[in-house]
Order: sequence, then C-alpha cells, then structure tokens
Amino acid sequence: MKPPPAVHYALEVQSLSQTYGNHAVLDNINLQVLPGQIVALVGPSGCGKSTLLKAILGTHKPTSGEVRTDGIPVRGPNRNVGIVYQQYSLYDFLTAEQNVSFGLKLDETTFLTRFFTPRKYIAKRREHNRRAKEFLYQVGLESACGKYPGEMSGGMRQRVAVAQAFIMRPKVVLLDEPFGALDEAMREDLQMMLLRFYQENLIAKREGRMPQYTILMVTHELNEAIYVADRVIGLSRFHTQGEKGAAIVYDRPCPVFSPDDPRDFSKFVEQREELRKAVFDDTYIKDRDKYVTFWKELSSLAKDVSNQRVS
Amino acid sequence: MIRRDIPAWLFWVLAIGGIVVLLTSYELVSARQTRINALQTTIPSFEKLGEGLKQIFRPQGQPENPKPAMFWVDMRATLWRLGLGMAMGVAMSIVVGVLMGAYRWIEAPLSAVVMFLSKIPPTAMMPIYFAVVGTDQKMFTSMVALGIFFSMTQSIYQAVRQDVSDEAINKAYTLGASEFEIIYEVIWKQILPKIIDSIRLQIGPAMVFLLAAEMVVGNAGLGYQIRMQSRILNMSVVYVYLFILAMVGLLAEWSLATLRRKLCPWFVD
Repeated sequence: MKPPPAVHYALEVQSLSQTYGNHAVLDNINLQVLPGQIVALVGPSGCGKSTLLKAILGTHKPTSGEVRTDGIPVRGPNRNVGIVYQQYSLYDFLTAEQNVSFGLKLDETTFLTRFFTPRKYIAKRREHNRRAKEFLYQVGLESACGKYPGEMSGGMRQRVAVAQAFIMRPKVVLLDEPFGALDEAMREDLQMMLLRFYQENLIAKREGRMPQYTILMVTHELNEAIYVADRVIGLSRFHTQGEKGAAIVYDRPCPVFSPDDPRDFSKFVEQREELRKAVFDDTYIKDRDKYVTFWKELSSLAKDVSNQRVS
Repeated sequence: MIRRDIPAWLFWVLAIGGIVVLLTSYELVSARQTRINALQTTIPSFEKLGEGLKQIFRPQGQPENPKPAMFWVDMRATLWRLGLGMAMGVAMSIVVGVLMGAYRWIEAPLSAVVMFLSKIPPTAMMPIYFAVVGTDQKMFTSMVALGIFFSMTQSIYQAVRQDVSDEAINKAYTLGASEFEIIYEVIWKQILPKIIDSIRLQIGPAMVFLLAAEMVVGNAGLGYQIRMQSRILNMSVVYVYLFILAMVGLLAEWSLATLRRKLCPWFVD
C-alpha cells in the first residue's frame, strides 16, 4: 500500500537509485517519514545504507530520484537535515556548550554582525549559551558545559553531538551508527535519551504542536532498532530483483517503549527474527514488497482507533 | 629500559650537568689554546667573551656625535627583515594553503607547483633574488618570505586535508554555515595550532636564509657582523652574536608555544 499523498512529510525519498559504473547500489528507494517518527534503518554491510544517508544529507547526488525535506528538494547539505556521525561528531576547538550553540551562532548571526555590532552579538551569544545549557541539561550533561571534546568520554561526546544537531530544530536528524563505538552502559543511556525524545514527540502531538524530534537512525543492532524506533526499515539485495541494487525489503512499525518500561528485549523476539530473515538471510529471496507494510498497518490502526471512538 | 621514566630531580640535575659540562669543556679547550698561543682569538676565554659583549654594546661614532651600538644596529636590521619577511610569507602561505585544502579547483593547479618549488633550497635561489629584486631591503624580505612560503603552504594544505574531516565540513553546512564561515569558523580554528607550530618550525630556516643573504650582500645585521668580525678573527664578538641568535630562537619558540597554549587550550600534542 502506498503512503497517503496529501500528508505532510518531514522526509520524502522518491524513486531514488544509485549506480557506480556498472555496479547498481540502490534501486528505486521510496521512503516517507512523518514528523515525530523515529525510524531505524538496518541492513547487511555494504548494502547501501551509507549511500542512502549521503543522498538524504545531500553530499552525494543520486543517479536518479529525489529527496525532499519538508517538501523542499535537497540540493546539498543544509539546515533542514541534521547529522550525528559515529566519529568526528564534535568540533575539537569548542567546549560542549560552544559546540551546542555553534549552529545558533552560524544561523542567527553573520560574519559582519559579529565584528561590526559587537554589543548585539554578545547579547545574542549569551542567549545562545543559555539555550545550549538548557539543552545540555536535558541530555544530562549540565556539568560538562566547559569541557572540550578531548576531555569527554565517547558517550558524553555523542550526547553533545545529539544536542548540537537537535537544538537547530531541523526537519529530520540522521544518526549514522551513533552508538556504534560505545560500551553497553553508555549505549543504554543514549537509547533512553532517544526514548525520552519520542515521549516528548507524543506529548507535542497530543497538544497539537509539531513534534520536534524526527530521526532516521542507521544501526546494525537489531534489538536497538526495534527498542528505540517506532518503525524499522530494512535495506537489502536479497529480493527477486536484487541484481538491480538494494531495495527497502522491510518496513514495519515497532512496539513503542517508554523510558520507564523495563528494558526487555524478549518482548520483540518475533519481530527481530522476522527482520533478520527478511533483511539478512541471503538464502531467503522474496518479493521486495512482502514485508513493506508500514502504511497499510498504520491505516488499519487508524481505522481501529476511529471505530473505537465511534463505538 | 627504553623510555623508562626518571625522577624529576634527576632530570634537572642531568640537564644542568649537560650545560656545566659544555661550559667547562669550552673553558678547558680555550685555556689549552691560550697556552699554545697567548694571542689566540679563535676560542676566546670567558673573560674575552665579556670584552666582546661590552664591545657590541659600546656606542659607536665620535663622542660628540655618538651613534647607536653595533648590537642595536644589527639587531634592528635583522629582526626587521626577519619579522617582515616572515609576516608576508606566513600570510601568503595561510591564504594559499587553506584555499588549496578547501577547494579542489585551487588544489589541482597549485599542488604540484608548490611541491616542486618547495624542494629548491632558498639559499640556492639567492642569485635569482639578486638579479630580480636587487640587493636592498626588498631582497632580504622576499628571500625570507618566499623561502618559507612553499614549505609552509604545503604543511598548511596538508593540515587542512588531514585535520579537517569531510564530516566536520558537512556538519557545519547542516548547522547553517556559509562557505566563508566554514573556512574561518571550522578550518581556520581547527588548524590554528598546526599553523603556530609551522611558524615555529620555520623560524630556523628563515634565520638561515636571512643570515646567508646578510653575509653575502648585507651592510648591517647579525649575519653581516658575524662575517665581518670573523674576517678579522674577532671571535669574542662572533660567539656572543651566536649566543644571541640562540637566545632569539629560544625566545621566539617559547613565545609561540605560549601563544598556542593560550589560543588553543584544547590542543594536545
């Protein structure tokens, strides 16, 4: 089932294909992400996840197709798409607070105003630093404001990087294996942080506000994908037209957890096994749309909710 | 064992010991040379070096029309040439090196040229400077500036390529930076410690180029004076000038290291 055409999407990938010479990497990728969704992207190594991410970020032009954020075509890296990398996530020469407020400085002041209207600039920077501190408080790093990245642990650095991306309120934030280099405890902390973001999205939706955390996260941890996200997408070549390139072969909703729920991965064993089979099993060649049922499931869920309201 | 640490007090005792051994050896060799020839000036005693020190600070000219001491005339000439030449060389290499590291279309035509020209020793280019620029102040300045320009441009360009990741640049774009802001706010700030280090490393070569030129065509300056005094075997002045050169080098190095610590507290060697 196709997604509804009139809906406002934070991110839209339309018929995107990528080939390098004779090597087809991605084939006809179509993806629509609603504001407030946390989408996990999984797939075998070398299946084209990074290529897709680069196309969405705008650093690599796809061979064909288009990416839109908030309805605007992506022509290069821009303010609408934030990014958190696994490494190189912060500027070494800025403290945690300065890293978080760096985007505000770039966005809300110009080079000329910084030099020629110093009073206004200083007042603006005070305001930026206050907002940065607030955000660092939200991610539990109020004590690390004055620390340089070299003085922080990997987990702290990634939290600051997340704050740096989200303080700009981009339409979508790409997380490129953001927790891949962290130990289990730090990973868990950051997963909790994403769950808290999701809860804030739900509150915003209930109150009729636009949710501010829309995330597309690449991960190789299936448990993490299902636990943190509300939708999982699998990219793979293991489908009947695999020679044309990798395609989205899995797109289904996930159970939603709250940070207070017990962290019990056994609750989604079934979906994890389904995901493993659909995306990672090279002996299981199937029709590419077999597990692409997100919009269908969403629509039947919406019908159920409206029926319940009527009754 | 290799790199086994030693106590700090032992380190300092050995460091001071090294200086004491050097000075004592010098004095012993000087005394031996004086025993052979009482009028020798090639390895003057510390007493003679003291006289050399007084000589360089003695005002010149007639008592009714005194002129500044030799030291001040030479120091002013050398430092002015060195400072101006280095300032020009550093400024040019920062602009060209950063632009080469930032833009492929600037890197493409310049990288091979810069690499080739950096391999020619600037002192070997001296005849070209004499012919093209002449033998006045412009020659000294351009020799220092161009002498450090090519190698420093190359090291700045390498620093931009290696120390500023594509990810850092892409991220700056996503935070709303313009190209100029990326160059100033990201690239410049990230490589600033490398630039300061690069300047520190170029002081030595710049001094070599300048002193060589002063020895050949100068009419004032440390290089000129060293050559003139060595021709009359007045080594007590020559050694004092060499000591001053070492002190100038150390002071410049210390100043730049301090500047780097102040400007880039985040940087760890």
